[in-house]
Amino acid sequence: MNKWFKSGAPWIWLSAAGVSISLISVLGLLWLIASRGLSYFWPSQLYQFDLIDKNGVKSIVIGEIYDREEIPVGQLAHLNLVLAPEQKMLERLLIKTGNRELVSLDFRWLLSHYIQKTQTPKELVMVERRTNGNFYGYIDSVVVDGKVVDANQLTTLLTRVENFQQQIDDLQKSDIGAINYQLERLRLKTRKYELQNKLTASVQAEIDSEVVSLNQRYAKLEQELMGYREKISRDHLVMRAMDGQLVSINFEYILKVTFNNKLTLLEKLATFFSQISAFIIEDPREANTEGGVFPAIFGTVLMVLLMTVIVSPLGVIAAIYLHEYAGKNAFTRLLRIAVINLAGVPSIVYGVFGLGFFVYIVGGSLDQLFYSENLPSPTFGTPGVLWSSLTLAILTLPVVIVSTEEGLSRIPSEMRYGSLALGATKAETLWRIILPIASPAIMTGIILAIARAAGEVAPLMLVGVVKMAPNLPIDGNFPFLHLDRKFMHLGFHIYDVGFQSPNVEAARPLVFATALLLVSIIVALNMIAVSIRNRLREKYKMLEH
Amino acid sequence: MISISPKVLATGSDALIKSPLDLNNLPPEQVALDINKLNLFYGKKQALNNITMSIPKGQVTAFIGPSGCGKSTLLRCINRMNDLVDDCHITGEINLNGHNIYNKHVDVAELRRKVGMVFQRPNPFPKTIYENVVYGLRIMGENNRRNLDDAAEQSLRSAALWNEVKDRLHESALGLSGGQQQRLVIARAIAIQPEVLLLDEPTSALDPISTLVIEELINDLKKQFTVVIVTHNMQQAARVSDQTAFMYMGDLIEYSDTNTLFTTPLKKKTEDYITGRYG
Repeated sequence: MNKWFKSGAPWIWLSAAGVSISLISVLGLLWLIASRGLSYFWPSQLYQFDLIDKNGVKSIVIGEIYDREEIPVGQLAHLNLVLAPEQKMLERLLIKTGNRELVSLDFRWLLSHYIQKTQTPKELVMVERRTNGNFYGYIDSVVVDGKVVDANQLTTLLTRVENFQQQIDDLQKSDIGAINYQLERLRLKTRKYELQNKLTASVQAEIDSEVVSLNQRYAKLEQELMGYREKISRDHLVMRAMDGQLVSINFEYILKVTFNNKLTLLEKLATFFSQISAFIIEDPREANTEGGVFPAIFGTVLMVLLMTVIVSPLGVIAAIYLHEYAGKNAFTRLLRIAVINLAGVPSIVYGVFGLGFFVYIVGGSLDQLFYSENLPSPTFGTPGVLWSSLTLAILTLPVVIVSTEEGLSRIPSEMRYGSLALGATKAETLWRIILPIASPAIMTGIILAIARAAGEVAPLMLVGVVKMAPNLPIDGNFPFLHLDRKFMHLGFHIYDVGFQSPNVEAARPLVFATALLLVSIIVALNMIAVSIRNRLREKYKMLEH
Repeated sequence: MISISPKVLATGSDALIKSPLDLNNLPPEQVALDINKLNLFYGKKQALNNITMSIPKGQVTAFIGPSGCGKSTLLRCINRMNDLVDDCHITGEINLNGHNIYNKHVDVAELRRKVGMVFQRPNPFPKTIYENVVYGLRIMGENNRRNLDDAAEQSLRSAALWNEVKDRLHESALGLSGGQQQRLVIARAIAIQPEVLLLDEPTSALDPISTLVIEELINDLKKQFTVVIVTHNMQQAARVSDQTAFMYMGDLIEYSDTNTLFTTPLKKKTEDYITGRYG
């Protein structure tokens, strides 16, 4: 026993156990998020339940099964159910029934005790809509221009509407958006001249004529838009709901009609992947509980990239100064300790700092200096993507400084001496020899910074993230990158959808799907940085004897 | 007891034929470096005591002595590498071409271009062989491809490395063997045409065959440069140098032409050291 102990075997087992526990927890986390998140996209079976309650009243419920749970019979005593004495638990199903215009709640619990018959009729249809959530039921008829037509035409009719919808989106987003942007700029221009007392009649006339021409173009586009609107609202789909009521749904609101129970496995897979891609490339709908998360992905990536661009040079320069130029005395050591401790400051504190300093002081001054025509509505004096990246840059600065310094101190002094002995100055040595060799360490710092920043939500809530941003920070209007705009972020999206949404039950799978996406994006960003670092390491590998 | 016979000492026959220089009264045109009353302190500890010596031009001068005697420190004074050491303090002067290199107005980078240095362990930069050789020239602002190519070839030939690397100039220098790396570092040092070349135990990290190649190289180098070499290996000093200085505990004990120092040392300490009583 003693010998076994001395051999070191217990320590090997202990460390192996440690590794497996960490591995299992990471894999378990990923598995949970992935399974819950991905199941959201899988087209689920539609059920029709024939119910009979204890008074013998029959009814029908149609919907998807969302959840099942076992509850003790004791909890249901008030229902006075007739049960076998050995039965202790009863099953309860959570059904998503949709049809918000008929019942106010999307979900309802069904006691399996009441279910007489469960079937999955092939004719059951799930209609995804722009508003009011899903509708479940049977197709009663398709109405084109007031006349009932063959229901088989549904697909062609839907494609027609979809095309028009696409054109409407393009019109609204690019053309009308651009005109609005220009009108706003003209307004600001006028205001600027006013403030400078340079608003002469000729200038005013010039601006007015521009406004008039823009307004004319706007009116034309609007007419075009109305034309499309009229075209898409021509047709109706009449649905029969579970209680037999007929509901007419305008095609304008229909996104997709699927016969989930008719789908083969292959079709289900195709639907699965198209749902995933829609989730990634589409905008959110209905208070973020439906649709995609593209603006949030875009915002997250843009913010992290901006942050990296800001923090890398700053951190590297600071580390170089601390390591190469600052005197090796108590003050430098104190400074170094302070920098390391900065990493331990809670992130919300950085958020408060960012709001107080960047947004109000810096942004406020910028507004007064350069954007006074827009006041009192602020341009930079309000949370935005620039301030978010700056705040996170400060938050991650210690990480970059510490790993860069580490890298600098690992470089053998012979390298420096070699360069200095050839007549290079210290700066030349740094630039040509030291920094390239330290680059893998710098990349390590950047990787850690990205990992930290991409997962940070709390400070962002103060300095730029919003639930719903009308515009992306990058668009086709000059100057293309709008650093003053607020943005959406996946991390905040998770919080918002999961805890702030009016329909928490419906949003739960979305939370997992978004979390999965956030994890994948951070992993992807990290992988890129890691592969760059490995390439650099390969180059300087021989140095590490 | 003298352990090394004169025949072994002089590998090249010219060392025996040439009459020794009078090191105390060198004519000024033959002096490469003139060290005058040099004292060096690390903090409060004195590491060099009042060193005065003249190093002749176009010859190989060796510093020998036991570990910690100050021979490397003295070498590093010549291109002011000791400036990089914290609380290192120097008095006295070293004259290069009649100018004191410890003068306030001396540009240290400029000085180091005139006084090249090769270190104990090969330290090629993690760049290509070519970029290593032309590094000093690039620092000096030379960017003409043709000039750089010429200089690289010439230096590599002088360092007896050209034939081994000419087909892989643009591969990493870190792929070379230790001996090749050391010759590359020498090529790098001579590419900027220094006047003096300092070698700090250049073969101590190398195998015997590489050592032999480097020693032969040193013999060729003295045709173009003044060479100062620090070595802990007495046989090496005897083989490659024209003058030898024996140092002990920060003092310059004896400095004379190599032949004399190894055959008829004047001081008891020198004799004890070269006969292996201590060191």
